[in-house]
Amino acid sequence: MRKGLKWIAAVSVITLLLAPVAWGKAELIKVGINAPMTGDIPKVGEGSKFAAQMWLEDIKAAGGLDVGGVKHPVELVIEDNESKAESAVKTNTKMITEDEVLVIVGPQSSKQAVPAGDVANNYKTPMISPWSTNPDTTKDRPYVFRGCFLDPFQGPVVANFITNEFGFTKAAVLYDVASDYPKGLAEFFKKAWEELHGPGSVVAYESFTTKDADFSSQLTNIINSGAEVLFTPQYYNEVALIVQQAHELGWKKPIVGSDSWGSAETIELCGAACHGLFFSTHYAAAGATGKTKEFIDRYQAKHGYIPDDVAALTWDALGIVGQAISTCGKITGDVEDDRQCVRDAMAKIKEYDGITGKMTFTEEGDPIKCAVIVKISDKGEYEFYKSVCP
Amino acid sequence: MEANRDKSPSHPPRGKGALRRACGRVPLLGWLLAILCAVLLEHYLGKALADLLGLRKIPVLLGVVTILKKPLLMPKTVLFVFLIYALPIGLTARLIREPANWLAERLMRMPVLIPAAVHLAILYAILHIWGDVSAYRVLTLKLTLIAVMLTLSLNVINGYMGEFSCSHPGFMALGAYATSVFTVGLFATDKIFGPALLPEALGVYLFPVALFLGGMVAALGALVIAIPSFRTRGDYLAIISLAFLFIVKSMIENLEFVGGPRGLSSQPDYASLPMVFSACALCVWIINNFVRSTIGKALNAVRDDEMAADAMTVNTRRTKMVAFMFAAFWAGVAGGLFAHVLRYVNPATFGIQKLAEVLAMVYFGGLNSVYGSIVGAVSLSMLSEALRPLEIFKWIIIPLLLILVMIFRPTGLIAFKEFDGRRLMQPRNRPDNEV
Repeated sequence: MRKGLKWIAAVSVITLLLAPVAWGKAELIKVGINAPMTGDIPKVGEGSKFAAQMWLEDIKAAGGLDVGGVKHPVELVIEDNESKAESAVKTNTKMITEDEVLVIVGPQSSKQAVPAGDVANNYKTPMISPWSTNPDTTKDRPYVFRGCFLDPFQGPVVANFITNEFGFTKAAVLYDVASDYPKGLAEFFKKAWEELHGPGSVVAYESFTTKDADFSSQLTNIINSGAEVLFTPQYYNEVALIVQQAHELGWKKPIVGSDSWGSAETIELCGAACHGLFFSTHYAAAGATGKTKEFIDRYQAKHGYIPDDVAALTWDALGIVGQAISTCGKITGDVEDDRQCVRDAMAKIKEYDGITGKMTFTEEGDPIKCAVIVKISDKGEYEFYKSVCP
Repeated sequence: MEANRDKSPSHPPRGKGALRRACGRVPLLGWLLAILCAVLLEHYLGKALADLLGLRKIPVLLGVVTILKKPLLMPKTVLFVFLIYALPIGLTARLIREPANWLAERLMRMPVLIPAAVHLAILYAILHIWGDVSAYRVLTLKLTLIAVMLTLSLNVINGYMGEFSCSHPGFMALGAYATSVFTVGLFATDKIFGPALLPEALGVYLFPVALFLGGMVAALGALVIAIPSFRTRGDYLAIISLAFLFIVKSMIENLEFVGGPRGLSSQPDYASLPMVFSACALCVWIINNFVRSTIGKALNAVRDDEMAADAMTVNTRRTKMVAFMFAAFWAGVAGGLFAHVLRYVNPATFGIQKLAEVLAMVYFGGLNSVYGSIVGAVSLSMLSEALRPLEIFKWIIIPLLLILVMIFRPTGLIAFKEFDGRRLMQPRNRPDNEV
């Protein structure tokens, strides 16, 4: 027992001597990343993590984050939220109270961002969710922001695009009733469409439940309803099934989607059936120019695939965070004052020029930004078609 | 939570080691007081010691997270845990052994409620002081206590009654939503139910009522399972209960007035640590009494042989119905607390993943055992919290542990063991107490 104690004493003295010397004068800035590394959507977590690491590389290459002439070192605290609401809350609490991060980026999906945003707001810590579309995430929460446009904007964008592009007046909608995002978007689209073309112009409004794989009865109804276009705001795995089954049943008219189509998996699963279809999203990878292209090329060179919209939005969210910290003017080391300062700076950001468009925050913390309409080319690439601004 | 971990040394020692024999003679009261000393020490000196050692903060979950995130800090963290927890607990337990035994003996002469209240008060003080260090600890504690309630209530059906029920997240969802509708509708201003109907100050006092209502709604829902269970057993009942889970989930998804798939938020902040702790203590006490009562024995009889039980005048239908409703009631209460800890509920939370979690806790801890449920829930919640930095490897380590437990102890870690509060609190200075 005594020998053991001696050993412990010896080892601890050595490590105390070897402990890294504290950073010079500049305070360390910690940025928390709350991402689903495991669980239902690990690809989303991976995209967030990779984008964050690229951002950190840039900061390190510049010798730190420049705040009022002082270069501050930056550290990322990446935590896994398992794609569960309670874990996202725990992770946020841990990052705020234990790691004392200055600002949090994430969580991505709304079911986590809504409760986690409550925690961030209570602790007066700025948080920006790059991907969450539920209005509750930022509503009445001055410390919570988001990086993407909302469904009440996207619904009308798609409705206007179809009307102007094709001149159709009768539309059909197929959506997942059990999932927050498709259901909300389907409702906003229906409302916008009926405002344009009068009540009853959505001739078929069909739903299914998450993990359904056979849509033939809904699609038969849609085909028989005489609709001219099908709008389906679904995720990539369902998009492939819906499009293929619709074609098998003889549907030859256009199918239009939303930003949830924007994953690289859509085209892999769907193949040629999806060529020539349109969807609205945050950015277009094919034919991108300038900073957007630079980001895509770098990401692809490093990780071997084209980044999807989550990675791009996370990149922009971190860019906003970086700019907010810089314009804050000074990092005092008192984390509560600094958080307040960063929050105020973030709310004041005007026309932030990101790779997913220019952003200005409203009072609610939601960005005003343009949507992009993408056409899936015959090579299966997501080509920029046009940009729709509010 | 260490209290639960450290209960094991208070069992009769099997080994002959001097250390174990010395530990075995410290009563539960002694252990609790020793841990109280340790957490007080951490509360007052922890920060200074952490600074001295060059740790940025007090290691939050006994240092495991720190070690996994920054392996270089390991010796310092281990030293911290040793100086703050291991050493003071060991020393104090040894020093106060005699007075604690004397005190335990005096206490046990009084009506059993008094020593029980004293023990619980010390346990709460430990949790409170331990949690005072950081909000993250408090949150972890609350969710762990809720997991204990859930596991225990599922153990009534799956362990004591021997049916394989998959509907527990469904009961939890019913309780969570019923409680939330009650509190949000009456005491909070929100966009679905409009302004608060009653003064907000009343809310905290009516919260137990809300929890009770949530539990009752879940119990009513349990009738849907209990009645088919008269005629079906085994796999078929498992499938029916799974169907019930999906029915509840899609029902809530289609109910617009509770927010549908978007979920229900802005619950008032009523689920404080004392609230969750008292609900959990009440739950353990009542369930423990339930399973040790005549009806608890009837449950075991139904599990072992339903026909024989029927022949021995056990009313099997009534037994099943009571068991299902009773277990669902506590699952509903746990759900209500869960909703108010997170202050947000959505139907997707109460899916297969939640079911797998609770089932794992029940089978890991041990069937037919209150001890087992507590150990299973606490160890799995703490483990999954502590191993979070490992990301994907966490999901290899935890299932591997489960497989190992299933191989070496097929009924779980501490199965078929009666939880006797009275014996637990006995003084241990005489060898005849060490049965």
